[in-house]
Amino acid sequence: MPSRLRSLAPYLFVGPAVLSVAIFLYGPLVASALLSVLDWNLLSADISFVGTKNYATAFGNVDFRTAAWNTVLYCIILIPAQIVLPLLLALMIHSVRKSPMQGLYRGSLFLPTILAYSVAGVAWSWLFNPVNGLFNEIFGYFGFPPSRWHTDPNLALLCVCLVTFWKTFGLNMLLWLAALANLPHELREASQLDGASPRRHFFTISLPLMTPTAFFISVTTFFHVLDDIVGVIDVLTHGGPAGRSSSLLYFLWQQGLRFFQFGPASAVAMIIIVLVLIVTWLQFRVVEKRVHYG
Amino acid sequence: MVEMNRRQFVAGATAAIGASMVMTGPARSADTSIEVSSTWGADKPFQKVVDAFNAKKLGVTVVNRFDGDYESATAKAGASVAAGRPPAMMITGWKFGYFAKRTLGARDLREINAAKADAIINSFRPSVHPLVTIDGTLIGLPWAMSTPITFINSELWKAAGLDPNLPETIDTKWLYENAHKLDAALKGKHPTYRSALALSNNEWTSQSFIQNAGGYIIDPQGGLALNSPEAVAGMAEFCAPASEGLWLPVSAKDQDAAFESGALAICTTSSTRATTFPLGPAKALTTKFPGMPGHARNMNSGGNFLAVYTKNKEQAEASLAFLEFCASKEGQTIWSQVGYLNTSVHDVPLINDFMKPAAAQLTDGLTAETIWPGKRGLEGQDVWRKWVSRMLLKEVTPADGVKGAHQELAGLISA
Repeated sequence: MPSRLRSLAPYLFVGPAVLSVAIFLYGPLVASALLSVLDWNLLSADISFVGTKNYATAFGNVDFRTAAWNTVLYCIILIPAQIVLPLLLALMIHSVRKSPMQGLYRGSLFLPTILAYSVAGVAWSWLFNPVNGLFNEIFGYFGFPPSRWHTDPNLALLCVCLVTFWKTFGLNMLLWLAALANLPHELREASQLDGASPRRHFFTISLPLMTPTAFFISVTTFFHVLDDIVGVIDVLTHGGPAGRSSSLLYFLWQQGLRFFQFGPASAVAMIIIVLVLIVTWLQFRVVEKRVHYG
Repeated sequence: MVEMNRRQFVAGATAAIGASMVMTGPARSADTSIEVSSTWGADKPFQKVVDAFNAKKLGVTVVNRFDGDYESATAKAGASVAAGRPPAMMITGWKFGYFAKRTLGARDLREINAAKADAIINSFRPSVHPLVTIDGTLIGLPWAMSTPITFINSELWKAAGLDPNLPETIDTKWLYENAHKLDAALKGKHPTYRSALALSNNEWTSQSFIQNAGGYIIDPQGGLALNSPEAVAGMAEFCAPASEGLWLPVSAKDQDAAFESGALAICTTSSTRATTFPLGPAKALTTKFPGMPGHARNMNSGGNFLAVYTKNKEQAEASLAFLEFCASKEGQTIWSQVGYLNTSVHDVPLINDFMKPAAAQLTDGLTAETIWPGKRGLEGQDVWRKWVSRMLLKEVTPADGVKGAHQELAGLISA
């Protein structure tokens, strides 16, 4: 091969990937930034530059503020739950790793993750139905008054959290299981010989060794929570009642794809991007320092 | 036997393929294919209408493309329009009338072919012509029309000792009194009874209440008319059973599931449920939607129209050919099986007697559902729905709710 062609080879190999990232990631990003300062619905020839008006409109919109606050609540509830509870479940499954039932437990717990949102929505709507749902029937049997569940403004957000957790914890559980399976046996044997209790072994040996997985899970769970709640909101509450279960991404989807308000929707998208960048930067600055890469 | 070498075989095969392409080419191009973006899949009667039309082999092939609900179909159409490839036709909800005309560019059928367009629209009752007339142009064929009516669980009604002979026309006084009687007779005593009433927690039935009280959300001239004593009176009456514990406002999906399972005694919802509710476990009886005591009834409708969006002349002509079939007696007879009202001038029998109250409401006269005007009009429906929820949850009084909704909607409509 001529040396000139050989020097081009790396660029040719990397080129398609760089091109696709530029087209499908940075292209829309730049387009969103542009749209956020325009008044244009993409459908008509009327385009006008509005500066920061779309941002001001977003911050002035009470539904945006409610969605933003709800998103904070979703993160506060779901991120710790999505990290800690899958770890506990993974520990339980790992403890029966030699049992033939382990595959069944793992499969059953992972099943909700691969279910379509529409199917999950139908099932949970039936469970939550305030008039004749299964939950109210069971609670009623024990003398509790019927609840409105996902149609109650005080419970709607928690119902979305519950369904989102049920729908998505499986992936993190598998990641924890993989991390547990990769822990060196020698260290367990050594700590057992030294008389360490299982709890002490877990907190002083296993957990520190799993911090790369923990860091990966904490970063990706933040993105997943933002994304996954949209599907659940769409099939369960549509953001209601009266916006009480809406989220920033759901609000963005409504503005853009239901109302064709691409300017305000793009402004919301840019706000979300900035928030995600800040949180991710903080995660790398604060949490990564505690990660042991072995 | 004729012997052939490889070269001869290749030459012969190429000639045969080329000839077949030349022969079939014109035949294939004679059929104009048009795609209809629709809210119904292949298992629904709309597909039967499409199949019946295609079977006629008129040189036009219609493809029914299921695009989800009205909002999804409209969003996809919007994306297609933005990409410069609008769907030839789309099932478009009444509520998107202004948006379809002013933003998506729904074609004036008369501009495509005036004579055919007039023949098509004259196959429909004059009362529905205004529903497809936006900005003075004919933007589609009035296709599906439903109206909210009252469904009553006959088993629960009888169990509560109420008269099963329902009046043909009812008002809220009659309905709420009976809901109270039902609740008193069955609460905690009947194995399936859970709630007396559901009026549908959406913008549609609340609009019925406002209009039956003499008001409008959007008046016939297209102006926002919500801030009126009539609207407040309508909403106060709408919210009353929720305040009294007779109605547990839930989503339409939850409401239908509860009624179908026999847990809900009275349910006001779309007349299209007359094809399922009376035949299921609820064994429902039907009567008209409740009017407001002392007021003239002014009921509204919901549904959609078939609009043409393509800018291509051939496709537009082909679309009109399909619309001609849809407007014919044959097309309307197939279509009537889905349970929508017959708005055509053809004599199409009702599919069952449970549809009678809906047909009577059509004869009385129906307005459109709220067609939200303005550049940001599509948000109007969600804003109104939010305020209806707030009123039902007693977060605001009907007077404050109507006022708040009016203010927020005025901002959207004037934007």
